[in-house]
Amino acid sequence: MSNWKLVNTTYLYDGTFDGLLTIVFESYSHKTLPQKIVSEEEYIQNFLDKTQYINTNYEKAKRVFEGINKNICYEALYNSFYAFLSDGKEKEIKILKYLCDGFDIGPKINTMLTISYVFSVINMRKRALSECHKLKGLLRFMEIGKNLYYASIHPDNNIIEPLGHHFIKRLPTQNFIIHDKNRNICFLYNSQEYKIIDSTNLTIPDVTEEEQKYQELWKLFFKTIAIQERKNARCQMQFMPKKYWQDLIEEP
Amino acid sequence: MDIFDKLKILADSAKYDASCSSSGSNRKNTNDGIGNGHVSGICHSWGADGRCISLLKILFTNACMYDCKYCINRSSNSVPRATFTPREVADLTIHFYKRNYIEGLFLSSAVIKSPDYTMERLVETASILRNEYHFHGYIHCKTIPGCSQELIDKLGVLVDRMSINIELPSNDSLKLLAPQKEKDGILKPMTYISNTLKLNKMDKSKYKEKFVPAGQTTQLMVGATPETDLKILKLSEGMYKSLKLKRVYYSAYVSINNDKNLPTLEKPPLLRENRLYQADWLLRFYGFQADELLNEEHPNFNTLLDPKCDWALRNLDKFPIEINTANYHTLLRIPGIGVISAKKIITARREFLLDFESLKKLGVVLKRAQYFITCKGKYFYEVNKFNKNFIETNLLYTERNTIPQKKFEQLSMFDTLLPTKEDKIKCLTGSL
Repeated sequence: MSNWKLVNTTYLYDGTFDGLLTIVFESYSHKTLPQKIVSEEEYIQNFLDKTQYINTNYEKAKRVFEGINKNICYEALYNSFYAFLSDGKEKEIKILKYLCDGFDIGPKINTMLTISYVFSVINMRKRALSECHKLKGLLRFMEIGKNLYYASIHPDNNIIEPLGHHFIKRLPTQNFIIHDKNRNICFLYNSQEYKIIDSTNLTIPDVTEEEQKYQELWKLFFKTIAIQERKNARCQMQFMPKKYWQDLIEEP
Repeated sequence: MDIFDKLKILADSAKYDASCSSSGSNRKNTNDGIGNGHVSGICHSWGADGRCISLLKILFTNACMYDCKYCINRSSNSVPRATFTPREVADLTIHFYKRNYIEGLFLSSAVIKSPDYTMERLVETASILRNEYHFHGYIHCKTIPGCSQELIDKLGVLVDRMSINIELPSNDSLKLLAPQKEKDGILKPMTYISNTLKLNKMDKSKYKEKFVPAGQTTQLMVGATPETDLKILKLSEGMYKSLKLKRVYYSAYVSINNDKNLPTLEKPPLLRENRLYQADWLLRFYGFQADELLNEEHPNFNTLLDPKCDWALRNLDKFPIEINTANYHTLLRIPGIGVISAKKIITARREFLLDFESLKKLGVVLKRAQYFITCKGKYFYEVNKFNKNFIETNLLYTERNTIPQKKFEQLSMFDTLLPTKEDKIKCLTGSL
């Protein structure tokens, strides 16, 4: 990648993983590195920038997708996808460099942790995955209708899809909505298929009577199970940061 | 008595059990079932004491027929008593699980009527959950000491993990504080479970159903009896080796009962519990032996330094260790380097030789490790600083915020202490 041409352009794309893979395709085939890659939504006009919009091309994206799996390794695909879901700064350009280097070097790229962008891609993956894991525990469903459950979350990373898949496996007969309030998107599942939709105005009906009873029972259990002689608020906060408290039923 | 009262009483009685892990089982869900196991376990909340809540931890009943001196539920205590029905426990578990409050059920019980009678209730509860509700989430059940082997077999195929609490680390203590229990009554079922597990794994054609896939655990109480740390650690080591236990939990004794045979502690011995856990990890993941960490001369852990630092300072002849050539097991012996860091180092050094700067980049914390390693043959400080006095003083100094320093010494002109960041700033600004 050292002899590639650096172009003084900002690439814009539609903010999807396919869009980013199209950019990888273009960059790799022309051997050019852009200065920045920003999704069109987040881009703030700047009169010094030279911008170029890259149209998402599913054919090219698919070729890159399969190419990563074949020529680098499955782990690289996994790393770049979860890094893409994370809220890391300048994640797109780092993923681009990581993948382009990966095509030249092969699966060994994952061991080259002293290269800064390889290290940050792997770190971003870790951030996204660990938040996903945390929310697998901290998400709370509320029954808002017969066999219909609703949960709201405020995650830093865009992990609604892997999170949803976890609950589909776990509760396949239950209809549920997971609402990401930071991004205003919803994961809907009707015990057969799932869908992710935008949800700017969503009204949630009141919880059922039975639901209230179990919420009270849970609060009671939560309060009772702690040993007062061992009180340790700092330890509690370390595991369960305050930003997640707003969506909990219990009051820590 | 409604379900609220029962839950309050029986959760309150169950809280002294340390175990809450939901790991080790990868039970799959079916299309019409509910729940699945997660190999690494999932914590769902953290209580005010900082312990994680991942299972609905309750007793089936607290109306105990035994009178163990240390236990809150001893028969001579006047505490409110309650008993669930198997259906109530199963319903509560399912409803909590559907709302993602919990990862499964941890059912323990006091002994009511007879060990076998109690055990039958536990089997019934697990059976309702598994066969009627098609629940595939985690179930951890206590085995009642002295119950029959058929019941253990029955329960074993229903649950993910089984445990029997030893609580008292020696026979003498057992006689003193739990005169109605016998050592054999506790160890026999443990051995039986461990043997069945072994057979079950070897002969898969004969045993169709998995028997306790997440293994068995136990709990030891710390601070109620005069045993030394060495004795407790030796006991754990023995159980890990012979019984293949998954975990030994340590629980700091909380003074709840007054008895002439019990010590009165103002606070539970939390530091001691912490040290035992640290040492327990060293046994299980770091390849240490109990004899290395403690011996007859030092039968108890150092209160100021963690067991690994303490060991390293006593064995300075094995250090400093070269990061770029040492093998995995040697890397694990460096204080401050854990399993994750050691693996990172091994991966990264295949491509580049590592120095202190690149170690920091990898995210390896050098707070303790810096005193015990060399990178490309270089030590972090001047070579003559590599001595016990210097390292010990600085390790204690960096921990000063968390651990009170008790050693007072005459200050010397040639202090071995490293200047802190604040000291350096003060030097520059002249505000000494």
